[in-house]
Formats: sequence, C-alpha cells, structure tokens
Amino acid sequence: MELILDIVVSSIISGSIYALLAIGFSLVFGVARIVNIAHTAFYMVAAYCIYYVTRKTGCHPGWAMIAAVALVTLLGMLCYQLFVKPIREKEGAVLIATIALAMAMQEAMVIQFTGTYLTMPALVKGYFAVLGVKIFYQQLLTFCAALVILFLLWALLMKTRLGSAIRSTAQDREVANLMGINEARVALWTVGISVGLAALTGAIVVPLTVLDPHMWMHPLIMMMAVVVLGGLGSLKGSFIAAFILGFVESLVVFLIPMGSYLKNSAALTVMIVVLLIRPEGLFGISFEEER
Amino acid sequence: MMRHFRIYFRKLFVVFRNEILVLPSRVVVLLFFLLLLLLPLFAGDPYLLRILTLTSIFAILAASWDLLSGFTGQMNFGHALFFGVGAYTAALVNLHLHIPPWGSIPIGAVGAVLAGLVIGIPCLRLRGTYLALTTLAFPIILMGIIFALSDFTGGEKGISGHASLAGSRVGDYYVAVVAMLGLCTIMWKITDSNTGIILHAIREDELAVRASGINTTRYKLLAFCLSGFFAGVSGGLYAHFMRMAGPSTLDVSMSFQIVIWSMFGGVMTIYGPVGAVFIIVPLLEFFRFWQELRMLMFAGVVLLILLYMPDGLFRWLRDKIEKTCPRCKLRNIATRHTCRVCNAPLD
Amino acid sequence: MARIVRRVFLLGLLSFFAVSFWTVSFAKEIKIGVIGPMQFVQGISQWNGAQLAAEEINARGGVQVGDEKMQIRLIRADSNELLNTTDGPSAMDRLMTRDKVDFVLGGFRTEAVLVMQDIAMEHKKIFIGIGPAHADLCTRVATDYDTYKYWFRGSPFNSALLGRTSFLNLGYVAGVLKETLNIPQIKVAFVGEKAAWVDPVAKAAQDVIPKMGMELVGVWRPSERATDVTAELSAIQRSGAHIIFTIFSSSVGITFARQAGELEIPAMQVGVNVEAQKDGFWDATQGMGNYAMTVSIYARGLEYNDLTKPFVENYIKKFGETPTAMADTYAAIAYMLVPAIEKTGTLDSDKLVAFLENQECKVPSGVVALEKDAEGRPLHDLRWGPGYLTYAGFQWQDGALKGVWPNKWKAGPQAPEITYKGIVPLKIPPWMIEKYKK
Repeated sequence: MELILDIVVSSIISGSIYALLAIGFSLVFGVARIVNIAHTAFYMVAAYCIYYVTRKTGCHPGWAMIAAVALVTLLGMLCYQLFVKPIREKEGAVLIATIALAMAMQEAMVIQFTGTYLTMPALVKGYFAVLGVKIFYQQLLTFCAALVILFLLWALLMKTRLGSAIRSTAQDREVANLMGINEARVALWTVGISVGLAALTGAIVVPLTVLDPHMWMHPLIMMMAVVVLGGLGSLKGSFIAAFILGFVESLVVFLIPMGSYLKNSAALTVMIVVLLIRPEGLFGISFEEER
Repeated sequence: MMRHFRIYFRKLFVVFRNEILVLPSRVVVLLFFLLLLLLPLFAGDPYLLRILTLTSIFAILAASWDLLSGFTGQMNFGHALFFGVGAYTAALVNLHLHIPPWGSIPIGAVGAVLAGLVIGIPCLRLRGTYLALTTLAFPIILMGIIFALSDFTGGEKGISGHASLAGSRVGDYYVAVVAMLGLCTIMWKITDSNTGIILHAIREDELAVRASGINTTRYKLLAFCLSGFFAGVSGGLYAHFMRMAGPSTLDVSMSFQIVIWSMFGGVMTIYGPVGAVFIIVPLLEFFRFWQELRMLMFAGVVLLILLYMPDGLFRWLRDKIEKTCPRCKLRNIATRHTCRVCNAPLD
Repeated sequence: MARIVRRVFLLGLLSFFAVSFWTVSFAKEIKIGVIGPMQFVQGISQWNGAQLAAEEINARGGVQVGDEKMQIRLIRADSNELLNTTDGPSAMDRLMTRDKVDFVLGGFRTEAVLVMQDIAMEHKKIFIGIGPAHADLCTRVATDYDTYKYWFRGSPFNSALLGRTSFLNLGYVAGVLKETLNIPQIKVAFVGEKAAWVDPVAKAAQDVIPKMGMELVGVWRPSERATDVTAELSAIQRSGAHIIFTIFSSSVGITFARQAGELEIPAMQVGVNVEAQKDGFWDATQGMGNYAMTVSIYARGLEYNDLTKPFVENYIKKFGETPTAMADTYAAIAYMLVPAIEKTGTLDSDKLVAFLENQECKVPSGVVALEKDAEGRPLHDLRWGPGYLTYAGFQWQDGALKGVWPNKWKAGPQAPEITYKGIVPLKIPPWMIEKYKK
C-alpha cells in the first residue's frame, strides 16, 4: 500500500515538473514552429541566477526568483530576436542555432560557476508524513506552484486576447495573419512566455535539486519524450504525457531498485512504442504538413 | 608501346585541363586529396597525424549523416547510435573472436546496418520533428542497455585491449585517410546515381514519389542502412584507432556534434560535412590554449555562420566562386561571362 | 644606410631568437606533465599538488641528477576526460611529442586513462596514476610487463581495496551501534550509484555483509546524477536498516546525504561518498549532511605520520582547502619520483622503473609499497594494510570532517592496535538514538 502511495507521490511531483517544461516547449513549437533545444538550458540559467543572486545579495530567495525569471525571459527574447528570427524559415538552421545557444549557455555557466555541485536551501524546511510516506514541504510547495502556474497559463490562453491570438496563430499562421494578428509579435510574446515558463520551472525546482552546468541535458530528453508522446503542438497532450512518463519513471525506480538508472530508457521506450501505434502522438494532429 | 603511354597521358591531361582545372571547387578537392595523401612525407609529427586521423574518421561519420538526413530528409538526431554500435561490435568481435581489424570493422558496420533497420522501421511513419526527437531516444536506450549488461560490455569503462588499426601512427593515418577518401567518394557517387535522385525526391515531396509508383519505404530503409553502414565503419575505425570503445560514443552531445558539423558545412552535399569536420575538429584542438572559452567560441562561430550563411559554409563559398549556367545547368567559374560549354551569357 | 640598419636589426633579432631557443631547449630542466580534467576540481587538485611539490623542490635548489642540479618544470595538460574522451589521448600525445615531457602524472576517468596509458607506454615515459582507481590499469602491468612497466599507481589504492576499507568502517560502526543502542542484529542497506566500479563492490557486499554477522536488507542503485532519492530513502526506512552502506562518487552523494538528513532517516551512512570528502560538502547539503561518513585520505587534524601535517597545512595555506586524493601528485613528485631520481642519478625511465619497483616510500598518507600479483609478477599497484596505506574513515561532525576510524583497530588477532593521531569517537545522530534507545 505504502509502495503505491510512494509511486503516486513521486510520479505526481516529477510529472508536474515535466508538464511545465513540456508545455512551454510545445507552446513555442505550435505557434512559431521553433524546436527550442535550449529550453531546458534557460531553465538551468534561471536556476544559477537564483543561486547567484541569493548568495551575492543575501536577500530572500523569493526576490531572487522573481529577478531570475525576469532576466531569463529577457535573455530568451533577446536570443530569439538576434539569432533565431533572421533564420526562422529554415527549420534545420533554427534547430542548430538553439543547440549552439544551449551549448553557449552551458559554457557560460561553467566559466562562471565551474563544475562544482551547488545547492540552494529549501524555502520551507521540514517534512510531513502522509500514510507512512514522507513528503518534504518543499516538494509540496513545488507541486502547488506548478499547479498554480499551469492554471494561470490556462487562464492566459483561454481568457485573454493575447491568449486568443496565440491559439489562433498556432492553429493556422497564414489565416491568423490575414485576420490582422501581427504574427511576428505574437511569436515574440510566445517565446517570452515559453522561456518564462522554463525560468519559473527553474525557480521552483532549484531548492530540490543539485546545480551543475550539465543539468539541462536530462530534463531535455525527458521533456522531448513527453512532447513527442503527447503530440507536438498539443498542450493537453503534453500535460497528460508528462504524468504518464513521470509514472513510468517512478515505477521503474520503485519496482526495480537495482535498475533505477534505467528510468530514462524505460520512459523513452514507452514513447517509441506509442509512436509505433500512433505516429502523431497521443493528441497530436495528423495532417501537420497541410498547415 | 611508348606511343600508347603518350596517348594515354595526353588524354589524362586533356581531361584534367578541361574537367578539373576548369572549376575551382574541383581543384580544391584535388589539392585536398593530394595534401592528405602526401602529408606524412613532409610533416610526420605524431600529434598532427593523430588529429587528422580522428578528423578523417569523423568526416566519414558526418558524411554518412548527410546521406540520411540531408539527402533523404530523415532528420536523424541519434546518429551516435550507429557510431557506437559500430565501435562496440568491432571491438567485441576483435577482442573475443580474434578477428583482425580489416574483418571486425566491416562486421561492426553490418551491426550498425542492423541497428539502422531497428530504428528505421519505427521511424517510417514519422515525419520532421517527431522523427528527429524520436531518433534522439535510441542511443540513450542503448546506453541504458549497455550499463545493464555491464559484465559483457564493460559498463562505463568500455571495451579496451583490442588491436590497433595498423600498428603505427602513420599506418593508422593512411588507413583512415584512404577509407575516408574512398567512402566519401562512394557516397558522392551514390547521391549522383538513380538511387540518389530518388532519395532526394523523397526529401522534397514523398507523396509525389509514392504517386510515381516508387516504394518509398524500401528507399527510406535503404537510406537508413547505407548511412548506418558508413557510420558503422567510422565507429569501427574509431574503436581500433583509439583502442577503446566506450559509452562516450553514444553520447547525446556526439549526436548533436554530428548535426552541427553537417549543418555548418552545408547539407545535401557530401563535401560540406567533410569540409566542416576538417575545419572544426582541428580548430577545436587548436583552441586548447583558451580551454575555458573553447566551446563558447565554437558556439559563437556556429551562430554567426547560421546568421550569415544559413545554407552552410561550403555552399556559400561555392556560390561565391562558381555560377550555374541558366541554359545548360553546368557550373562555371564565377569570373566567366559566358558558359564554357554552351556559350550562354552567365549574368 | 637604411639598408644596413635594417640588416643589422634583422641579424640582431635572429640571434636573439637563436640564443633564447638555445637556452630554452638546452636548459637543464626536468619536465613533468600533469594531465587531468583541469576545468574541474579533480584536475585542479592534481595541478595544485604538483605545483606545491615543484615549488618546494625548486626553492631548495632543484633535483640532484648525477652531477648537476635541475629544476622541475611542470606542464599542464587538460584531458577534458569528464566531457569528451577523445581529448584525453590527444592531450597525452601533445605532452609526449610536442612538450616532450620526462614524466607524466594524473589521469582520472578509467575509460580515458586506459588509452592515455597506451600512449605514454609507447613513448616509454613513466606515468604515475593519481586518480583512477580501476584495478585493470595495474593488471596490464602484470600481463604485459615490457610494455606497461612504466605505469605506477600513485594514489588512491584501487577500488577493491577501497571496498575493503569501507567494509572495515562498516564493521566498526556496526560494533559501536550494537554497543550503544543494544541492537541485536544490524541491518544494512546497500546504496551504490550505477557505475561500473561499484558493481564489484555490490557483489562483494552480498557476500561479506552476512559473513560479518549483519543482514543485507536491500540493494539500491540510483543514477550517479540523481537529484531526488526520496523514493529510495522511503524504501530504505521501511526496510528497517540501521546502516546505509553508501558507494557514491558523484552528485548523488550530496543529494542523498542532504535528503537523508532532512528526512531524519534513523540510519548511519557509512562507506564512500566522494562529495563528502570535500570542504564544500557542508554547504552543498545545507548542513543536513551531518553525521555522514566517508572513507577519505586527508582532513584537518588527522595525521598518518610526521609528513601528513606539514603537507595538509601547507596545502590549506596555499590553496584554501583540504587536499583530496588528487592532490597526491605532491607525494608522487616529492617522495616517489624525486628521491628515485636522486638515488639513481639518472632520468632514464628503465633504471628508474627498476629502482621504484623495489622501494618503499614514506608519503603523507602512509607508506607506498608496490604489489606483486599471485604469480609474483609486478603489478605496480599499492599495498594495503597497517604500516602501509589504509586511509581513514571520516565523519562530518557539526561542520567539520573528523577522522573516526581506525580507532583501536586490529588488522588481525596478533596485529597491533592502530589509532591514528587525531581520531575522535563516532557520533550517532540524535534522532537515531531516540528511535532505538527505548
């Protein structure tokens, strides 16, 4: 019984993190057709920013998080304007550009912080026990924060004009242009929101994780698996797929303790099997090239 | 007897003058061949030879990627899989079955071909970004399996103790360079053949190709297998040259590197990735002096190239020094005003 | 007139270059290469230790090689092993062919060191390994002596011996727990990161732990970069383990200690935790890593012999942190290489190899003696045992790393009791005492 609860708790927490990352990635792909390999790299930069600001100025991590999110969002929009916008039409080039950006950010972190492992204190210390399973308050905080952010995002997309514009551009770029929506500006805003999401994820995950300049690779792979499984461009798909893959990972860790390093491979295998059956992912749209 | 030789050499010279010297890009390729083959005669520094050997091995790898992803349009983000499978298979076969390198490398390549089938079949129904992201998954899964079977595969220590390529640094160099020049020429010929045209067409519009009655599935699988074969050869060469085959050959960053090299040089040209590798790998090694800034500078250079030459460096260079005749479609040196064959005006 | 001036200038410049080239290439120097991942703390430590040794020796005049005194010149080579295994052999190549070093020290990641070893052996240069702990590096010496005889392991001893020391630590802690908390049967949980070097230790644990009279309740293998081990910790707590036997070399060591401390898991962490060897561990675990133990070599206050304290204090004074096993490049230069050179009076690799093989050298961590395998073939591996090298078990106690083992330890029934200077008693976490002392 406790085992099941452990698995459920663990998968919910990791699932919510993947969901945040995947939705940001999916958003920018659906709207601007940009595969942003540097998405998790922004997540990493935000985490380091928070660490740096907290250490240097000694102020409460909360302020550092706000500062970091703002800075990284600006950085993301700047990178987009300078490096991605001029070559937006060529998908291959955009892909390489984002890889190069991710590498540049990684190297910048190595130069500034070296490869030593760094950690941040938890915002709320301590833990509580539910039915024999110990959960950190910080994990609960992170999970609630993830839910809040997802809700805000949903509200943004469904209830505001910008959200409408984003959704329509995602559905059909040319027609949205014809309807008078400034497609380029919507793309810029979407990039900002997407990078902001990544930064927020960094902010809420930072107290739980260890910082090192290569921390962006593993979430990248899982995030891409989630996005592909859920269907590119489908936010609902990303959300659900995130929890599915989080669940698979937890299953592996708990049921095969000797093989907990296999959790990556297991999740990826699940993704491939689903793709064999349904090539556009769980909720993806089939005739993508007709858009 | 001597007359035969004279006529033969005359012919060769005429061909040389009219076909090769006419276009600067062909002259460059010729000089490249000569330089690589004759280098050890006047600069036998083992360190330099090592760098060039590694470069040649990676050049084969990059060219094989271009064959699959450039020509056939199947974006493969997990090319390191073929490289790793080739390396491990060659090393294992050599270590346990005692087959010498000229046998174990082809066997490694065959192993990579099988890997190509394994990933090609699920990927047949996938397109574009889905394909790219899915192919990313395969080397990672294989790495997990390698760690799981660490008794057999050596886990993260990898496999070592197998034979070297040719026993000496110069020997290794020549094996790698000859292999590279040979295999890349073969790949170049493939892209120029009927099969190559079909592969190119698949990239442009698969539906149209299917409508023409060609079995695209078979050709796509062929592309995966060919690409896998050449990449597997490169993996085998690597394993025997370094005398080590480890999980680093399957790394995600290795896959990314391959994509960067090829895009940097220009996709859909076999010479683009080869040239890019010959520039980037020695350059990175040279940047050793600025160890901290090395990768940062590399990333910066890649970004700049993408901004100004999005089709790749060598395409851009070639377009600067050569022009295509509008009538007969043959290339001419850019300083000409009329086509060398049909005399049409070039401007 | 101008032409003559130009000619004179050119001639002067050329002769200047010629002279400096002459003096540079014929200067009397011993070139020692230090190769390692220089952008990471392991490589930096290797370089630091070497620097400390070179400066000390050069300051007192240099090395007496036969009739002349030569200065030591260190050459730094970044193998970048942690990121890219092809860079390491290229760097070694450079050291051999461009820099033409006489000796090489360092190495870290076994995958890369195996290849770098081959290159150094090709050039017949002595390569002292400071960092890689895999036994295979030395078994090569036994199986192919003529090729590999130039290889020596300098520090630390190989992972099998590391396992042995950890098991002794385990036994010691189990004894203390039995006594103070009256626990009849000690339960042990094995947690080792998924890495090849841990596999033999995991296998050995399944044999050794029952033989030591304890029960092995489970084996967990998290990823070495795992950022969340609460799942494993929950399972471990449920299993009722009193001791968690940890084998970590990477960031999971920080995560595990921190989360175990935060969750107040009532078990002692014993074993190898490389991150816990570093000064920054306390910070990195936000202070939650208290009571975590690890096998390590150096810490403030612990002395193996009279060489330990001067080395540790000088290192801390110069570099601001406690030396780790990587800093034993100091011992390799100052107490292995240089005395060998001075006693044999030559830089010739073959003669030095013959000399080093039969020598015992006193170093800050004990005494280096080189092993032979079961068939009497030289392994050039380090000997383990009291009077040689045992290293020590350390525990984090309120912000400081203190030595706790060997504490009145006997290697065998007839052996003398050993307690190194600076060893303190073991501390048990209060939440564990609370749970068991009922």
